[in-house]
Amino acid sequence: MQRRDRGIAQSLGLLLTKCVKESRVLLVGAGGIGCEVLKNLVCCGFGSLSGTASSKKPGIVVIDLDTIDLSNLNRQFLFRKRHIKKPKAFVAKETASQFNPSVDIDAHHASIFDSQYNVEFFETFDLVFNALDNLAARRHVNRMCLAANVPLIESGTTGFNGQVQAIKKRVTECYDCNPKPVQKTFPICTIRIWAKSYLLPELFGTSEEESADVAVTEGDSADELAKLKEEAEALKNVRRMMGKSEFAQEVFNKVFHDDIERLRSMTEMWQSRKAPEALSFEGLKAGSETEIIEHGRTLAEQDQAVWSVQDDLAVFTYSLDTLSNRCLTGEKVIEFDKDDKDTLDFVASAANLRSHIFDIPLHSEWEIKQMAGNIIPAIATSNALTASLCVMEGFKILRSQLGSVGGKEEATLGGAKMVFLNSRSTERMITTQTLAPPKADCPVCSPVYAKLRLRNGEGGKATLQELVDLLKEKVGYDEFAITTEAGIIYDPDLEDNLEKPLKDYVTHGNGFITVSDEGDEAKVDLVLSTVAHSGEDAELQLLPDSIMLPYKPKRESPAETNGHAKEIRATPEVVAAPTTTSSAGAKRKREADEEAESVKKRVMASKSEVHVVDDDGAILLDDD
Amino acid sequence: MAEAISNGTVHATAQPNGTAPVAENGTHGYIHGTAENGTTTTTASGLSADEIALYDRQLRLWGAEAQKRIRSANILLVSLRALGTEIAKNLTLAGINSLTIIDDEPVSEEDLGSQYFVREEDIGKPRAEAAIPRIRDLNPAVTIRSGGPLAALLAQDQTFYAPYTCVIATDHDLLTLSQINTTARFATSPFYAAAIHGFYGYIFADLLTHTFAIEREKSNIPTAIGPETPTRSVVSVTAKRETKGSGKTTEIVQKQEIYCPLILANTSPLPSSIISSRRKLKAVPPLLPCLRALWDYQRTLNAFPSPSSSSDLVTFTTLATAKARELQLPLETLKADFLRSFMQNVGAEIPPTAAFVGGRLSEDVINVLGRREQPIQNFALFDGEGLEGRIYSLWSAPPEVMGLASNGQGLSWRGLLGSTDVSELGGVVGAAANGVTSAPAGAADAIVLD
Repeated sequence: MQRRDRGIAQSLGLLLTKCVKESRVLLVGAGGIGCEVLKNLVCCGFGSLSGTASSKKPGIVVIDLDTIDLSNLNRQFLFRKRHIKKPKAFVAKETASQFNPSVDIDAHHASIFDSQYNVEFFETFDLVFNALDNLAARRHVNRMCLAANVPLIESGTTGFNGQVQAIKKRVTECYDCNPKPVQKTFPICTIRIWAKSYLLPELFGTSEEESADVAVTEGDSADELAKLKEEAEALKNVRRMMGKSEFAQEVFNKVFHDDIERLRSMTEMWQSRKAPEALSFEGLKAGSETEIIEHGRTLAEQDQAVWSVQDDLAVFTYSLDTLSNRCLTGEKVIEFDKDDKDTLDFVASAANLRSHIFDIPLHSEWEIKQMAGNIIPAIATSNALTASLCVMEGFKILRSQLGSVGGKEEATLGGAKMVFLNSRSTERMITTQTLAPPKADCPVCSPVYAKLRLRNGEGGKATLQELVDLLKEKVGYDEFAITTEAGIIYDPDLEDNLEKPLKDYVTHGNGFITVSDEGDEAKVDLVLSTVAHSGEDAELQLLPDSIMLPYKPKRESPAETNGHAKEIRATPEVVAAPTTTSSAGAKRKREADEEAESVKKRVMASKSEVHVVDDDGAILLDDD
Repeated sequence: MAEAISNGTVHATAQPNGTAPVAENGTHGYIHGTAENGTTTTTASGLSADEIALYDRQLRLWGAEAQKRIRSANILLVSLRALGTEIAKNLTLAGINSLTIIDDEPVSEEDLGSQYFVREEDIGKPRAEAAIPRIRDLNPAVTIRSGGPLAALLAQDQTFYAPYTCVIATDHDLLTLSQINTTARFATSPFYAAAIHGFYGYIFADLLTHTFAIEREKSNIPTAIGPETPTRSVVSVTAKRETKGSGKTTEIVQKQEIYCPLILANTSPLPSSIISSRRKLKAVPPLLPCLRALWDYQRTLNAFPSPSSSSDLVTFTTLATAKARELQLPLETLKADFLRSFMQNVGAEIPPTAAFVGGRLSEDVINVLGRREQPIQNFALFDGEGLEGRIYSLWSAPPEVMGLASNGQGLSWRGLLGSTDVSELGGVVGAAANGVTSAPAGAADAIVLD
């Protein structure tokens, strides 16, 4: 024991301190929470004695895909201005390593979805910390930790809020036991979304054919459909004028005049609401085209100010000019990116023009960036608080493993809890809930997990038939279905695929295959994590070699289910647990993309409805 | 005054890119900072484009006005151990104007465990001096300097404290903390105290009279102007704007909290709303009497109790029991398990507790600077073992509010320190608390900040 460990040793005791030092931990994410978690882990000496003397492994592994941005520096304190654009994982390692020379950090600039991070990789850790910013990666790590049976400490922050959840297979709820709110909190066709996910792609997005394709939905009148096709066709025609001097004027008059006039003509819509006022380019413009573009260029620098309608026209013209030039000089597709100033200028000015038409308050570009770019407020202190609680939970989980196996400590995960920051309360800095036991019907944590070893990660020439035979023999299945990420590939009535090679379905080294019993008295699902092997073993191999699956719990009558549910529900120690953080500050890039995609689809699918929704949830003009 | 204790360690202000010092709001004349605003223009918000880009994610939370107040703040931080390290980091990242650190203790090997701004090669150097270059590196726009030795600070009067927007003292005994608190109070500087002991920690706040804004959704019941608790009152309510169609209105509520100094808080009873409820009393963590007992123990024996000494355990238990009684807590809440655990942790520094207590204190300071959000009133307890974080108002009307302010030196912390007769003090306090809302406006105004 070094003298630098005195505090830890005194407080945790020698036994737990030794356990901390010998543990091997994985940190997924080196952003706001990640930097703070890493600092705590390094200073506490996590992993400083991991592995044996002969096979010393780095005690802390940190994985992050991101690079450093200026806006990170107000809270991600391991990074400096000189580190901008460098990989977060590497710089985090470099800075934090200086805090404690006895700790060895292994940094990966990679995606956690990469095939190298398979179940066997996860199995080498004693604890996993999630410090992520998106739902998809959180769910993936949750699943990997269940498959590898490694405790997971999940966390998230938004503004002053934060939360931490300890997850242990068969002991607590998993991340997916409670359905996460679907990312539809953005009202579709809000004006910002209209500008970012409809107008911009229509002009600078994917192929014309695709973007002009208007999906037919039930209830659309033939007239309405014809009009929509006409509108899309018109925009397509306008698009062809890109590069000509009248392009901006044509686009402007098309979307802010003609389309608006068409809407205005549907008088029944405007009986209880103010009808939109169309704008005309000629009526608003001040000066020559060159002057307008120059004016717009200057205005675009002033992103804190709320521009006037004339200003918006200037920025719109300027950004359209810039984007057209980019498009004509080889950029095939220009998509919205909050950090691509040209696209932001376009979206901000277009959104404001449309807002003006519908008499909705205008916003500064800086404000629109937050709405259109899904920027979540983030501060140093919430991250520090949340990360500190993550490490506290880590101590508890390690301690629970020191006690007798199956004892009280293990059942309560050493006193770990669900913790929420509670910044606005006059009575509490944090609120907690006892960890609830796993949900019996959770599709993610109720199945039995096993491994399927595949030669070279794809099973060589092995066919689906061979997998089916293997499962019949080793698990004792009769009627069952097999599902992969691609969907159902086999069930008692679907035998078409049996002769196909398994590698058609399993392409990653870290995928999951779900096997569900279709018999009358069904057994629980079996989830196989695929693992590559390159040895001389069989092409397909189950691990463990044979599996005894328990039966699914019997469905109870609704009344009983309620009673049961109540019994196993989390007993909140404090009723007023914040609900705003339930999505744990989820989503950024990945989800933003998903959201944009889904919005786009819905915009396409529901254009007969006239949505005019302010981002604040204000005016809502549904056709029906 | 500053020069008197600077003993040559005051560092020249770093000028990262040669810009002229930015004159801040003016109340703090001689501490000038530099804002790293390069050559870019100041925007309509009063912040430079560089500042907006760097502080983007926090501006989206607390706005430009609060950020400008944060930018003009000069903070005095007394003691730079694990807790001070976290506070220095958080406040520097937030973009205050200047941070003056007082800690001339030599760096020890034990310090390396949780004080990540010092390294092995710094062992023996004064803590503040060793850490300052690394703190400065976090945010070159913030002026970080050493304020000299603690002994010199304790010899200062209020004129020394006047330039500081906020004074934070950590990991000291009650006498030292109270002396700093009292002198800062005469200079009308808000004061925070905090300490950690292994898994446990506390934050104390004396913000004199603090006015702050809370933005919230307007409820159906109109917000009443007037007192909410013995210390807090609603000053004004402004409807912000109606969100069209949703029927929701945001309102900005200006509130005011009145504080008392540490020495008075340490002998103040729990609020009557807690004392009158047995359930609430039972929920008061035993950490509270233990922290009070520890201050007594330190004062009497000039040391921390040793967990391995049974006589220390007996002495400490006796003190803790007396404190529990003083607080009118049911004695069964003071469990032997907890006492043992607390003694085991006394004096230890562990990184996550430092991060929590230091993080929460910094958040409070930042909000106080920005005059937004409810601050701690006035004692927050953190228990990383039981994962609890309660806040209690241990308040008695300070002498100013009681009409003694005219005495000038009337606030005698030495006199109060001797007074442990709680029943007697409690009576005075109770009477004072009742009278506070009707206290002459002039008396309260005298200690209003700014």
